[in-house]
Amino acid sequence: MSGGVTGAALVVGGGIAGMQAALDLAESGFYVYLVEKSPSIGGTMARLDKTFPTNDCAMCILSPKLVECGRHLNIETLTGSEVLDIAGEPGNFTVRVRRRPRYIDLARCTGCGDCEKECPVRLPNEYEGGLNLRKAIFRPFPQAYPNAFAIDKADRPLCQVSCPAGVHAQGYVALIAAGKFQEAVTLVKRDNPFPAVCGRVCHHPCEAACRRGLLDEPVAIRPLKRMIADYELEHAGEIALPECSAPRRERVAVVGSGPAGLTCAHYLALDGFPVTVFEALPVAGGMLTVGIPEYRLPRDILRAEIDQIARLGVEIRTGTALGRDFTLDDLAAGGYQAVFLAVGAHRDQKLGVPGEDVPGVVSGVEFLRQVNLGEPVTVGRQVLVIGGGNVAIDAARSSLRLGARSVTVVYRRSRGEMPAAAHEVAAAEEEGIEFRFLTAPAAVLGEGQAQGLRCLRMQLGEADASGRRRPVPVPGSDFTLEADQVIVAIGQTPDTAFAPPGMTDRWGNLAADPETLATARPGVFAGGDAVTGPATAVEAIAAGRRAAASIRRHLDGEIPIAARPVPAPAVGPVPWGEARAPRAAMPELDPVARRGDFREVELGLSQEAAMAEAGRCLDCGVCAECRECERVCQARAIVHDMAPEEVELKVGAVILCPGFATTAPEDLVPLGYGRHPNVVTSMEFERILSASGPYDGHVVRPSDRKVPRRIAFLQCIGSRDLRHGEGYCSSVCCMYALKEAVIAKEHSAEELAISIFYMDMRAYGKDFEHYLNRAQREYGVRLVRSRVEAVEAGGAPGDLTVHYAGEDGRPAREDFDLVVLSVGMRPEPAMVELVERLGISTDRHGFPRTPSGKPTCTSRPGILVAGPFAAPKDIPETVVEASAAAAEAGTVLASSRGELVRHKEYPLERAVANRPPRIGVFVCHCGINIGGVVRVKEVADFARGLPYVVHVEDNLYTCSQDTQDRIKQLIEEHDLNRVVVASCSPRTHEPLFQQSIREGGLNPYLFEMANIRDQCSWVHMHDPDAATAKSRDLLAMAVAKARHLEPLYRVPVPVTRAALVIGGGMAGLTATLAFARQGYPVGLVEREVELGGQARRLTRTLEGEDVPALVARTIEAVKTHPLVTVHTGSRVRNIEGFVGNFETLLATPEGEVAVRHGVVVVATGALPAVPSDTGYGTDPRVITQLELEEALAGGRVPEGDIVMIGCAGSRTPERPYCSRVCCSHMVKNALALKALDPRREVHVIHRDIRTYGLKEEQYREAREAGVIFYRYTEDDPPRVAAGEDGRREVTVTDDLLGMPVRIPAGLVVLASGIAPRPDARELAQALKVPLNADGFFLEAHAKLRPVDFATDGVFVAGLAHAPKTLSESMAQALAAVGRAATVIARDSIEAGGAVAEVREARCGGCRTCESVCQYSAIKLDPARGKAAVEKALCKGCGACAATCWCGAIVLRGFTEEQILAEVAALL
Amino acid sequence: MKAAASASPARLVSPRFKYEVAARPGGQAIKACFGCGVCTAGCPVAEVDGAYNPRRIIRMVLLGLEEDVLTSDLIWLCTLCFTCYARCPQDVKFTDVMGVLRELAVERGYVHPSFPARLKAMDDLAQQLRLGAARALARDKAAAGPPDPGNLKRLFAEVGETT
Repeated sequence: MSGGVTGAALVVGGGIAGMQAALDLAESGFYVYLVEKSPSIGGTMARLDKTFPTNDCAMCILSPKLVECGRHLNIETLTGSEVLDIAGEPGNFTVRVRRRPRYIDLARCTGCGDCEKECPVRLPNEYEGGLNLRKAIFRPFPQAYPNAFAIDKADRPLCQVSCPAGVHAQGYVALIAAGKFQEAVTLVKRDNPFPAVCGRVCHHPCEAACRRGLLDEPVAIRPLKRMIADYELEHAGEIALPECSAPRRERVAVVGSGPAGLTCAHYLALDGFPVTVFEALPVAGGMLTVGIPEYRLPRDILRAEIDQIARLGVEIRTGTALGRDFTLDDLAAGGYQAVFLAVGAHRDQKLGVPGEDVPGVVSGVEFLRQVNLGEPVTVGRQVLVIGGGNVAIDAARSSLRLGARSVTVVYRRSRGEMPAAAHEVAAAEEEGIEFRFLTAPAAVLGEGQAQGLRCLRMQLGEADASGRRRPVPVPGSDFTLEADQVIVAIGQTPDTAFAPPGMTDRWGNLAADPETLATARPGVFAGGDAVTGPATAVEAIAAGRRAAASIRRHLDGEIPIAARPVPAPAVGPVPWGEARAPRAAMPELDPVARRGDFREVELGLSQEAAMAEAGRCLDCGVCAECRECERVCQARAIVHDMAPEEVELKVGAVILCPGFATTAPEDLVPLGYGRHPNVVTSMEFERILSASGPYDGHVVRPSDRKVPRRIAFLQCIGSRDLRHGEGYCSSVCCMYALKEAVIAKEHSAEELAISIFYMDMRAYGKDFEHYLNRAQREYGVRLVRSRVEAVEAGGAPGDLTVHYAGEDGRPAREDFDLVVLSVGMRPEPAMVELVERLGISTDRHGFPRTPSGKPTCTSRPGILVAGPFAAPKDIPETVVEASAAAAEAGTVLASSRGELVRHKEYPLERAVANRPPRIGVFVCHCGINIGGVVRVKEVADFARGLPYVVHVEDNLYTCSQDTQDRIKQLIEEHDLNRVVVASCSPRTHEPLFQQSIREGGLNPYLFEMANIRDQCSWVHMHDPDAATAKSRDLLAMAVAKARHLEPLYRVPVPVTRAALVIGGGMAGLTATLAFARQGYPVGLVEREVELGGQARRLTRTLEGEDVPALVARTIEAVKTHPLVTVHTGSRVRNIEGFVGNFETLLATPEGEVAVRHGVVVVATGALPAVPSDTGYGTDPRVITQLELEEALAGGRVPEGDIVMIGCAGSRTPERPYCSRVCCSHMVKNALALKALDPRREVHVIHRDIRTYGLKEEQYREAREAGVIFYRYTEDDPPRVAAGEDGRREVTVTDDLLGMPVRIPAGLVVLASGIAPRPDARELAQALKVPLNADGFFLEAHAKLRPVDFATDGVFVAGLAHAPKTLSESMAQALAAVGRAATVIARDSIEAGGAVAEVREARCGGCRTCESVCQYSAIKLDPARGKAAVEKALCKGCGACAATCWCGAIVLRGFTEEQILAEVAALL
Repeated sequence: MKAAASASPARLVSPRFKYEVAARPGGQAIKACFGCGVCTAGCPVAEVDGAYNPRRIIRMVLLGLEEDVLTSDLIWLCTLCFTCYARCPQDVKFTDVMGVLRELAVERGYVHPSFPARLKAMDDLAQQLRLGAARALARDKAAAGPPDPGNLKRLFAEVGETT
């Protein structure tokens, strides 16, 4: 590294500013990290419909930049990333960046979109302003870069977190809502092999946790699970078996076939292990079989799920008990390498009262076992059940079904303390079972046969260890309950007699590690009720699954570690606005029908009810992890367990351009936003206008999709507003509102009335005033000068009433169909927090402060800022600042230029000349994107029959990395010399394929592409035959053209690495200095003897900067820099050459000087406009603002009150543009006068006060200082007349009072504006660059190329381009250098390739081609009388070839022969 | 409107008055007004009396039409509802400004010193009337049918007697 400077830069924010800065730096020899927080670069501009003032489609002009930036070898884009910290100093920063998981492998994702179709989770689409929905797996917009999907995922949802087995409840609920029942049940079984069982008997903690319960009632998760499990049983006949891994040899024994044991066996079997389950009872299923009565869990259902486990190869040996029939040592000796003990808790606890052993007293578990095994049981007429758990309720309800006349449950606490499930207790009551609470048994009465129970009444005392209040007997409360049978169900314990000492705990339960379930004996694990005491089925299932994982690790020789820790769940806020919807009720068997009948009580939800119920889910986890994307992604790009990561970057300079946020929604509430759906923000309206937007470009309103006939735009929303927003002006809203109004009118077939409610129409930019005039005059947009006070519901449904002060001053009410709020710009809040943390000085709004004369610098050296993050601004200024920041960064990095950039090395090109074509054809399925419509195999077969085609393949994804490698290999293998790909759009993919064949040794121009996606599978989506036929045609055309392709070459043209700057004002001086500081020799030409230009007449800027000091400092730096040659008093005589190779002749006082340079910056400035009429020039009391400023600077303070008149010579028919700076100039001088003498009155008469951006704050300061502002209109201008005592008097109509007022004035000061230099035309002709209608230099593109000309190598800055402030001029000068550096940073530029070529024999020298070429690339060679193409300038647009009368011009790559071959193939 | 404007004689602007108003507690922010009209658009008095216009009153102060403002009946019409105060994007606090103008009108002798107290008594009465009427309405708010103006008259009579 040179001098320790790292030759890389960090650009934060991937909007248009970030992309421009990154491209400029990367093209100037530096490596760039582009950090973007969203999944795609593109920023706000990607959301805009059209751009003013040219009405270009925003996406059309942006997307080439997306591709260029995205594919650049020296730009590394980090999406989903945020900067945490920046340490170090200029030249050497260390940046910490956090990358959020995208859950998509970018190297694999081809952007085909198959996943998106399957995703069941819908979310508001933020790209579309929330006007429609998108999926949880999404790509923000089709042109996004990276062209890949991303998954929006919060933490795991609470339903899943609360489930002991971690079942993906949100996932299967989402799948049910989408009607995907089989997929849903398969998802459940990843974590739980018993969906039908749990769908019936689970105690469903998921429902308790469900956040829908906060809104109304929890989602019926358990019934939903049952529905899908039943669906599988009914529809599949038997349960489909999941696939098992390769068989393993290690045998595992599972003791106990309850839910814990079988679950363990299930997952071990899936892992390929042979498993034997030993069961003491004659049937499998443990408590599920012998504990739960059939009316809750039908036997056939349970058997089906157990069978499924057996069918996986699990051997279940019933009637074999540990301790009775075999020992743990026997298992070891029998070759079992691991054992899972899941023996359950089947031993009843004793009541411990007298008479407990008389006949007629049975234990609950024993009773249920007999009933469930179908053994004969005796049931009394009067049954008492003691206990409050599920066993007690099951025993009671079973007794009733077996014929008991009366059944009473006796429980010593109250209802609230009962551990039994509430809906079971309710069902029992429904069936007629009685409950006696706060009743404890004291003794069983009767001898030889139970006859009753002596009881004590209890009351609740202090809370016990379980947190429940302990029941204490009420003294003397004995009473007797009659009964002929008493069922005791007060709890169970495990029978662990088999266990050797040390394997049990002090309660007699098996002892195991709570995480790994390992016991003290190696290889032996234990879980379920045997370890925990009696618990629930799902807890046992969870234990079984954990045991399986531990055993697998044990057998793999790994340490049995715990599962990943559960982080604190992070879920978004409850959407309180969601409509209330009741939970689906479970249909049940009629209570009367249940007596004497063990048929299932719950009947299950229908499919329709289940889908509706599932639709109530709030999607708390966002992505439901249903894994449908994983299932359908044929590229295997989905990675659900991706984790966040932190990376450290080393860079030499940093550019912050994170963009802006819009006015907070809460500030919009008074204007109806959020209350009335037809009040939308301007960003939302952009999407409504967009052809690719939520309404496909039909201008309709959200509430009822009605076509609006009356639209109101409300300006300054959140701007110029100290109460609801910020005091400053957001700079862009006036123009975008005009644009949206014009576009809406253009879109509207019917009459559309548009009203814009505004305060000052700030059309201050280049060509904006023309746009404003056109909007009013041609489109009939109505401008109402009034701020809207409120928006309320209107007369008709969906309509809105706008409250404002009418022209007559009275409150006015007017109805509209749609209201658009022109929201303002805020600095991006997260970034404000970051810059403050970095110690960067900000203003009170959070905008970083920039030091005097350095428009893109922050208070921290080496950290630069650009775009609306620095202050509200439009796209051109943003792009200017981005290039300017790149130039500033270039000066920091200059010594390490070229050190970190990568270059691509290519193999030698294969010779193809004079060889017969050997064409390879690749037809792409694009997943199902093309293949789902077009019969790709058929198209590929068709291609095999085409002439010269020697190899054809159809690929799942032709653009995937492995196919790219394969294409290279096939070029070699089949000696291919042409390659044709039939796939998607050349716009995004042609460069990729061209690069691949180049890497395979073919000239990149030997490639042709057929777009069978956009033009076939997309547009003929519902007609596969037509789509396939058209694909064949397009492919035949491409192959026909490919036969005639020829290698084309780009040849290096050497570059003169020096610059020439024309104009020595502040723009020229700034550019000169920046070139020199980047290490380039630079010549500066100035016609005057003195440098400094117009800035020499200024004293201070509006922001208070000392201009003379700044000018002097800059001139000094320019004059003393060794790389600068200054030519004052000189003019450009002649310019020859082209980009990289200019030769200019200067006329200097010392004679003619020839200068060689690679680039030119035009910074020739402008002139102060001279006002006509109003007495200027004849009346000494009428002067201009510049003259006033000079007088004040010279200490010549005028006497008396002062009247300033704005637009004195601007916005007139003669100069129909706004001079941009005059309003601020008036405010600045007014403040200066007030500062000198607060008693002096200053009056400002204006047409609109255009103090845009932060300048609005000085406008307010001026008002507070007592300056009075009056507004006049073009047709009623102020009149200056002689007043008393030699003073002047200005008469103007006050628009607020509606009457003329007379203002006495000691001096009248005209804001006369800026005029183009009359000699600009001459220079423009010499440089072959255009001027606009007003006489200013016309840049290549108003939005995205604000300092370039269409002619390469020539750049513009300062007033020569358009009126602007000093700081804006300097930024533009830096930007010109930033752009120019992309040319002179290299030794040579590449010229040629697909460019025009003149066949001289046919050329008649008519110069028609010269007149149509926008790039000045073709001109007549006067010596030969023939046209000649300058390859370095030709863009290959074909205009010349199309225009040439004689057919003398050939466009390489699109020759007549090639095009005719295509046409012939089609016909 | 324009024709009417050019017909009336041009008034001479005088700056002093705005400083006077701004110097008093409550009047400080008047100069910040940029004439957007939000105060007027939301004003319940302006809705019933077209001559009443807060934006216009502020403008007259700023241009120094002192006597026109202070002698006008209009400055006494404000109900002090604070709607303009709450909505003003420049925080002009017009309700407070109105207090200053009334104060000045009394000081300059354009109204009798007892006038503000009488106005206040009237406001109190109006409040009581409103309160009573609202209570009476609330009693049969469940009643169906269109409002009967006769009822309201009887109501006011009733409330009037008790106060």
